[in-house]
Amino acid sequence: VSSRRLWLRMIHVCSRSRLCSLSVSFQACQSEKHFGQYYTLPSAHVRTVFPHGLPMRYKQQVKTFNEACMMVRPPALEVISSLKKTDNSKPAVRYLFYGLKGSGKTMTLCHTIHFCYTQGWLVLHVPDAHLWVKNCKELLPSSFNSSRYDQPLQATEWLRNFRITNEPFLSKIKTKQRYVWTKRESTEEGSTLGELVDQGITRVKTSSDVVGAVMKELRLQSGQPESDFRLAVAVDGVNALWGRSTIRKMNNTAVDPEELTLVYNLRKLMKNDWTGGAIITTLAQTGAVYTSKYSYLPKELLGEKGFDSMDPFIPVSVPNYSEKEFESCYLYYMDRHWLQYPHSRTEDGKKELIFLSNRNPSMLERICGFH
Amino acid sequence: MAAHTSRAFLSLGRINVPGLGLHKSVSRVTYSTGLSTDSSKATTGSPQKGGKKVLSKKYKREPGDPRTELMPVDQDWTAVYPVATPFIPDAIPLPVRMGCPVKGGAPPEKKGNLELIKIPNFLHLTPAAIKKHCEALKPFCTEWPSALDTDAKCDEHFPIKVETKSYVSAGPSIRNPAARIVHLSVKLSSLNLNDQARKKMLKLVGDRYCKDTDILTITADRCPLKQQNYDYAMYLLTVLYHESWKIEAWEAEKTVADMEEYSWEGSLSQENILDVLVRMKEAGEGEGEEVREQLLGRREVQEYKDSVTRLKNEGENESTMLQYKEAVKKVLKL
Repeated sequence: VSSRRLWLRMIHVCSRSRLCSLSVSFQACQSEKHFGQYYTLPSAHVRTVFPHGLPMRYKQQVKTFNEACMMVRPPALEVISSLKKTDNSKPAVRYLFYGLKGSGKTMTLCHTIHFCYTQGWLVLHVPDAHLWVKNCKELLPSSFNSSRYDQPLQATEWLRNFRITNEPFLSKIKTKQRYVWTKRESTEEGSTLGELVDQGITRVKTSSDVVGAVMKELRLQSGQPESDFRLAVAVDGVNALWGRSTIRKMNNTAVDPEELTLVYNLRKLMKNDWTGGAIITTLAQTGAVYTSKYSYLPKELLGEKGFDSMDPFIPVSVPNYSEKEFESCYLYYMDRHWLQYPHSRTEDGKKELIFLSNRNPSMLERICGFH
Repeated sequence: MAAHTSRAFLSLGRINVPGLGLHKSVSRVTYSTGLSTDSSKATTGSPQKGGKKVLSKKYKREPGDPRTELMPVDQDWTAVYPVATPFIPDAIPLPVRMGCPVKGGAPPEKKGNLELIKIPNFLHLTPAAIKKHCEALKPFCTEWPSALDTDAKCDEHFPIKVETKSYVSAGPSIRNPAARIVHLSVKLSSLNLNDQARKKMLKLVGDRYCKDTDILTITADRCPLKQQNYDYAMYLLTVLYHESWKIEAWEAEKTVADMEEYSWEGSLSQENILDVLVRMKEAGEGEGEEVREQLLGRREVQEYKDSVTRLKNEGENESTMLQYKEAVKKVLKL
């Protein structure tokens, strides 16, 4: 299928016309006038900011179209305008994106993360918290606390991606505490964050504890007068932290998410007892275990415990495309020659697309691939 | 019916078996006399005067018009069908058809239709007949009290409603075991219950209470007789009422999980919001209790409390979520 797409792209590349009204350069974006318009992410940003954050289908689209264009939508702009006004001395505010399946929550989160990155914030992005509570190939008892369990593979992967995103900060931030890993290995006080992260990547067994240490350092240091960075914690699928896990212990009983080091430390980050940043989260049913396919509202996905932990938070609804947004998406696909059949250029074809997808972004994207 | 017609076609000269009234005045079917073939004797089976060659034309009465033709339109139907009677096609002036339709045709007509005879009919219970029944029963009835002219007054004076069913059927026994069931329904608002008693009553009663109509329904069917079941239902109601007023020692151990409704005071949500506000230094300097009281008295905190309570009690939908969002924004001063 991808070779067919490539062939078609080659045929049309000469006749491709860029409509200026569709894509706006990033500097001028982020205001209400640009609702529904696409802005292009520079490819360098895509490589650094999103080594692991973008949805799978969007990554394929980026590869196909050779550019990463995101639509400017009201939920993202709402959170971005709040972020612009955040006060460094106040406790971190929690935002929660919720909506139907495929309505664009992860993309909105990525848009917000990109904004934070361009403003020079330190982005701590957990792309899918569900990955930490299921399909764990290696589960080790934690050396730090015997009642908890480590997940070295997931932790190492996350540390690697964290390093790619936040290269500039790694040499600037210094640890405030001494960490002892084994009898012979320790990280001294005052060493850079980069060293801590490298320690976690090279010594895989201690990686979960390193993740915990990184989170603790960042939490303690952000918002302090001497630190010059602001922390943005972005978690996709935050309902995994308070749900159930499918991981089993050796005696075949289920592991409570609280008993996982990664989840335990992330939960501590989710509390708003630190200042100088923001916590932006998304609900996700798609990868969730033991939840109904049709649930999407915060209380049903988070559960009682999760809701009480996140309270007070700002729930931001991410709806399906409005008429204007649908028009914009349709024109973008037409411009990229993604809609191949002549029937889709007619009014009837457009109505058919609206009917089939109900203006749901992910459905529309899938259906346009066949039209 | 089909068998007879086929025989009629096959035997041109044979005796048409009399008395069934197959066709009215169809001249092609001719009668034959007793001098016909032997097989006809076997089919008829009627004793013929043995051997006598008497040419006696058996007198057969012409079937007249069915009664439906002679009925006037404004007749008294209750006289035609005074009691439950099987379906008589010639007595019912309706062109009813019933049964499986012939291919490309209509269902069979009512004449000789066994399906119509098999089913019960209610032709003896037309509105006119019911009216006559009512008129006949009126001397045995007492008048409805004129003071009870609205439903509200009935509820006020007679809050307990007892529903029973009695059954009449023709059969070897006049008893019906389903007649022992008694339903007793009462509105809880008419009972004298305070808050604690009402909650305890709802917990004791469980599914028998309907929240929308506020009616408690007790169904008793464990005794063999209706009167016994009625006594038992009244006893249950009395016991429930008295038990719900009693307070046991172990009821003091009621936990948050047992609560029927969410109450914000003392909940995690209250702790969280006060914590946040203190850290945001909204209250200015101060310690402990006065700070908390002052914060709780603020309008935004009250609004936040209302929104959280509404969210937890009513469940989530767009409006409760929006209200919660606005309240949080105001409290956190965004």
